[in-house]
Amino acid sequence: MTKTVSPACAVSLCLLGVALHAIGAHAADGDWKRGRVYYQKVCTDCHGAKAGGAIAPNSRSIKDWTAYLSADRHARGKDALKKYVSREYRASIKGVNKAAEKYADVPDEQLFNDIRSFMLKGAKDGDSPASCT
Amino acid sequence: MQMPMHAAFRTIAVMAAMLMAAAAHGAPDAASAQLLKSTSDHSKFKVLQQDFQSGPEVTKACLSCHTEAARQLQLTQHWKWEFLNPDGRRLGKKNVINNFCTSVASNYAYCTTCHIGYGWKDDQFDFTAQENVDCLICHDTTGNYRKPSGFAGNVVTRDTEFPPGSGKVVKALKLRPIAQEVAKTSRDNCGACHFFGGGGDGVKHGDLDSSLASPDKALDVHMDATGNNFACATCHMTEGHQVPGSRYAPTAVDKGGAHLRGKERTGNPTTCQSCHGQAPHKANLAKLNDHTDKVACQTCHIPAYARGGIATKMAWDWSTAGRMGPDGKPLVKTDAKGRVIYTAAKGHFVLAENVVPEYAWFNGKVTYTLLGDRIEKSDQPTRINHFEGSASDGKSTIWPVKVFRGKQAYDPVNQTLAVLHMAGNDDTAFWTNFNWEKAVAAGMASVGAPFSGQVDFVSTESMWPITHMVAPAQSALKCRDCHASDGRLEKVSGIYIPGRGSDHATWLDGIGWALAALALFGALAHGSGRIFVSRRRT
Repeated sequence: MTKTVSPACAVSLCLLGVALHAIGAHAADGDWKRGRVYYQKVCTDCHGAKAGGAIAPNSRSIKDWTAYLSADRHARGKDALKKYVSREYRASIKGVNKAAEKYADVPDEQLFNDIRSFMLKGAKDGDSPASCT
Repeated sequence: MQMPMHAAFRTIAVMAAMLMAAAAHGAPDAASAQLLKSTSDHSKFKVLQQDFQSGPEVTKACLSCHTEAARQLQLTQHWKWEFLNPDGRRLGKKNVINNFCTSVASNYAYCTTCHIGYGWKDDQFDFTAQENVDCLICHDTTGNYRKPSGFAGNVVTRDTEFPPGSGKVVKALKLRPIAQEVAKTSRDNCGACHFFGGGGDGVKHGDLDSSLASPDKALDVHMDATGNNFACATCHMTEGHQVPGSRYAPTAVDKGGAHLRGKERTGNPTTCQSCHGQAPHKANLAKLNDHTDKVACQTCHIPAYARGGIATKMAWDWSTAGRMGPDGKPLVKTDAKGRVIYTAAKGHFVLAENVVPEYAWFNGKVTYTLLGDRIEKSDQPTRINHFEGSASDGKSTIWPVKVFRGKQAYDPVNQTLAVLHMAGNDDTAFWTNFNWEKAVAAGMASVGAPFSGQVDFVSTESMWPITHMVAPAQSALKCRDCHASDGRLEKVSGIYIPGRGSDHATWLDGIGWALAALALFGALAHGSGRIFVSRRRT
């Protein structure tokens, strides 16, 4: 018996594959050094001062961070994580935060990707576990 | 319409390839922006599109294009770990004994983790083999390249149990993606070794630790990741792989001007003056320019070191090493912050952050106590190294230094410092058997030095120049930090510093105050007289 697949299904599978590839490639392409600066100078600064302490990348596993970043839930779901990477947010704090000022014009998705690269790389089971300093 | 399964997958494959090609063509800006900084995309080189099984294989691939790189590198101190001091003595990591982990000899496989080469496991290492040069340690940009301790500077490309029989596995490294992402050096590259000198983060230097990988302006105005973002090589301007600015060849006083592009300059490019010149302060602070002939820039502009949240070691007492806990296992103690302050393997440590430097005259000459030099146990510590200089030699300025104090093993009969065999999976290594006599016997034998069989401990001191962690101008020292009775330069001899406690003369102050009082009295008397006379006239 010859198994058959509809062309629509074939195209859907194809697009899914491309999408997954793009996501993977995107994460790998992130500039982890820029992500590190933003993580340390914006995320860590704020968490240290207002949110009960800094959260080191090496305090979570790659799986944990991947789930956290995919969920896009900040402060236990009170708002979106991407809000704090957005250009609007950077513009709102750039007067008092040099990292936000330096990266004011970096597209949101690109900067989010950079941060993701740093966090996954710095996870406790990542290639280069990173503390807060 | 239906199609056979294999035809469907062929369609999928073709479409996927086309779409991926299109996606790659319209790749995100981050990648393309990064590539624009370089004229080469190393991932496109055929020679780098292979699964490398060792470091030397990568080096051979690098050298197939960069044909002279290894020859350049093999002339450097980074490769030789040797330096010929102006006094004729051979220095460099290969030869000196310090008061941290003491010496490279007999501990090669561990210490050479930070050598810029592969395979230096004993004194038979081939310094002429070009494939032994490690290109990736300085040119990796992924941040994933690492050489685990105990492998003689080799990378691990297969999961390996280490130490053998321990059950601990060192994960394999994939060299291909690292080799394809090489670029010019960054702070992370240099820091992979120089931040961790002395066996841990910030241990040795005090002004170099991992906080400088991504510092803010308050920590270092030059390396500020959101500002100037200097790489190490911005100041340590390298030519032909020769990196200037070694502490073995320091420039204590630079009388040259700021380096102009296009103008030849043979001086040390790492000095402050090589950029800032001889009169760096603006007109409203011009008085400070009068200080530059006697005070190094670092003295005022690095008010403290270890400011990045990472403690540096200030003292190390080897004599207490080897203690076991109640469970019979090697003892470990931590302080209130969870930092290790005692281990059976190393003894006691003193750690500190935000440390105010000590200050000393320095003319660029450093003298060392080397293996074989006669030393005596006394109230005065043995100087492992010492900065030369004085107020009167005309060549010195006042420098900030970290003075590292220790107590380390020596041979009390031959009166020499000891070479210690610390690390290794053998019966004589101290970290295996905690026996000093065996460890020193093995260490001294490895360099052919005599050993009496007795081990004692002697107090030692070493000096380290403070040159990094330059603070913003507003955080620099103020006049009162030195010109006061409790000022920072209280112990610096040979110079008159107005206001300093040791330059205080009670009789002179008395005369001064008397004259001031007299002047005040005169002015008041004169004024009163005027008032009196004017009233009489009216």
